[in-house]
Amino acid sequence: MDNQKLTQWSALREVELFLFREAELADQHLYKEWFALWTEELLYWVPCNSDEQAIGRKIALINDNRPELDERLFRLGTKFAHAQNPKSRLSRVIGNVVLQQWDADHGGCVTSRFNLTEVRAGRQLTFAGRQTHLLARQNGELRMREKHVYLANHDIPMPNLTFII
Amino acid sequence: MQQVENPLSAHAITHVNLQSLVQDGRVHSRAYTNQAIFDLEIDRIFHRSWIYVGHESEVPKPGDYQARPIGRTPVLMVRGKDNKVRVLVNRCRHRGAQVVETESGNTRMFRCWYHGWTYELTGALAEVTERGGYGPDFRTQNMGLVEVPRVASHRGFVFASIKAEGESLAEFLGGAAAQFDMLVDASPTGEIFLDAGTNKTEYMGNWKLVGMDGYHPNFVHASVVAGWARNSESGIGAMHREDPFSDEALTLTRYYGNGHAMLDFRAQRLKSYKKHAEFLSKVAGGVKYVEDMHKAYGKERAELLISLSGDPHLGVFPNLQLIGNQVRIITPITPGITQVTMSMVRLGGVSDEINTMRVRQHESFYGPAGSGSPDDAEIFERVQRGMMAEVNPWIEISRGMHREFVDTDGSVVGRITDEVPQRGQMKYWLHLMTQAA
Ligand code: FES
Ligand SMILES: [Fe+2]
Repeated sequence: MDNQKLTQWSALREVELFLFREAELADQHLYKEWFALWTEELLYWVPCNSDEQAIGRKIALINDNRPELDERLFRLGTKFAHAQNPKSRLSRVIGNVVLQQWDADHGGCVTSRFNLTEVRAGRQLTFAGRQTHLLARQNGELRMREKHVYLANHDIPMPNLTFII
Repeated sequence: MQQVENPLSAHAITHVNLQSLVQDGRVHSRAYTNQAIFDLEIDRIFHRSWIYVGHESEVPKPGDYQARPIGRTPVLMVRGKDNKVRVLVNRCRHRGAQVVETESGNTRMFRCWYHGWTYELTGALAEVTERGGYGPDFRTQNMGLVEVPRVASHRGFVFASIKAEGESLAEFLGGAAAQFDMLVDASPTGEIFLDAGTNKTEYMGNWKLVGMDGYHPNFVHASVVAGWARNSESGIGAMHREDPFSDEALTLTRYYGNGHAMLDFRAQRLKSYKKHAEFLSKVAGGVKYVEDMHKAYGKERAELLISLSGDPHLGVFPNLQLIGNQVRIITPITPGITQVTMSMVRLGGVSDEINTMRVRQHESFYGPAGSGSPDDAEIFERVQRGMMAEVNPWIEISRGMHREFVDTDGSVVGRITDEVPQRGQMKYWLHLMTQAA
């Protein structure tokens, strides 16, 4: 393998391991650790009805900046977030990871797909979709600047979505 | 506790045993859990009453349609070439296939893809394939998509009734009709558009659970309340107002008859008019909005409309709610499954920034991932599970019976935590359920 190929492979592997770690923290409801994966400025966006929605013009399922995401995680951490009390048991798999645009020093854009099983209140549900991460390298570490989640079921009657997606 | 005898057998629902389910201040939980009663609700409520189908702004151009259910009946709300909005049963007159499969769209005609029959936007049968297979007695003019016999609209809200005769929409809405203005006239031009997205949600509970309840917020939404406290400490909660859900607040419950009820925030919010106007002045176009509202409606009414910010918090029985910045449709699926759609309202005649701010308000509390709706759904599911116990099957809805009174406009009024809406709704429910065909 030539050097350029090796660099591409190791970049992909680093990003994959980052996404796996993010998925694991989300599955375990480790809000503090998961929140620490973000950059100071952030957008956590889960559109509703369509993948091509103008942010702010139409309602999203989630459209959080830092204070709003902070508030969401605070709320989920209280004893009164009934829809997560008891918590969902989660298991997600990340795949089809593709670096769309990448710069070793600064980060870039990566797309992937996920498949998530939720078990709660005697029910087993499946969520799946595509996700786009805008990653930035800060002090050598990868951080999430934006995360967009395009749920397969965002235009049909949905159950609660109260865990980190 | 003693075992209460079944007032009802699933096979023999009579007026007498229906009546035994709804008593003064209490309701038997079987009204929420029983399949036979649910089937009767579809027949006697959803297939007879005025049912909200959609808003005219959802079909702005000729050929635009929305596919929705009325009870168990799939229908199409469609705008014809004559600009008239019709409600057609979405069932082919040949062998019964659902004709339109997409939820919404624009078309010149409808084609059933089973054997290719086509229909005009009016529902009229346009063409039968291989026409020679039918004799001279086959009348195409009698074979159109069935038009729902009664369709009427109020301020752009289109209602339809499958029952051919009955009271007019205006009679049905009664005192609730005027409350639609509190939403529509939040626009200085009196225009709203339901084109800014729809949350589609489902919970495992009965459709009657999602009502007007001013008693629950401090408990069901305790996590949100905790968040407010945290924000005001950090200085972000500048909009802090007194608790609208305490018995001391100026907020009220109000019952208009025919099942229609509201949480009446008018007096309580009007008290904070200055804060509302100040908040708006920080949004681009907000100062102009306040001016335009005054020009359009005069000082007194403009101040009320601005304070309420388009939220009459009105439930129109059985399937429409005007809450927050949204229009809700309640759709019963089974006794224990309900779908709720929440369509964002865009105001006409205001800046994009105001509408964007309203979208953000909605997103933060409502929808499957909001801070409020999921806990509501969670509690409805707990209620549905709890109600399966029939050792003592009574749901207590007597709160405030001793202090409710009849207002000058004929509506029944209670404090915000009182169960005026629940009593009104179930009384009207019983009336509809025990009416002869
Ligand atoms: S069922 Fe529609 S054409 Fe035959
Ligand atoms: Fe609620």
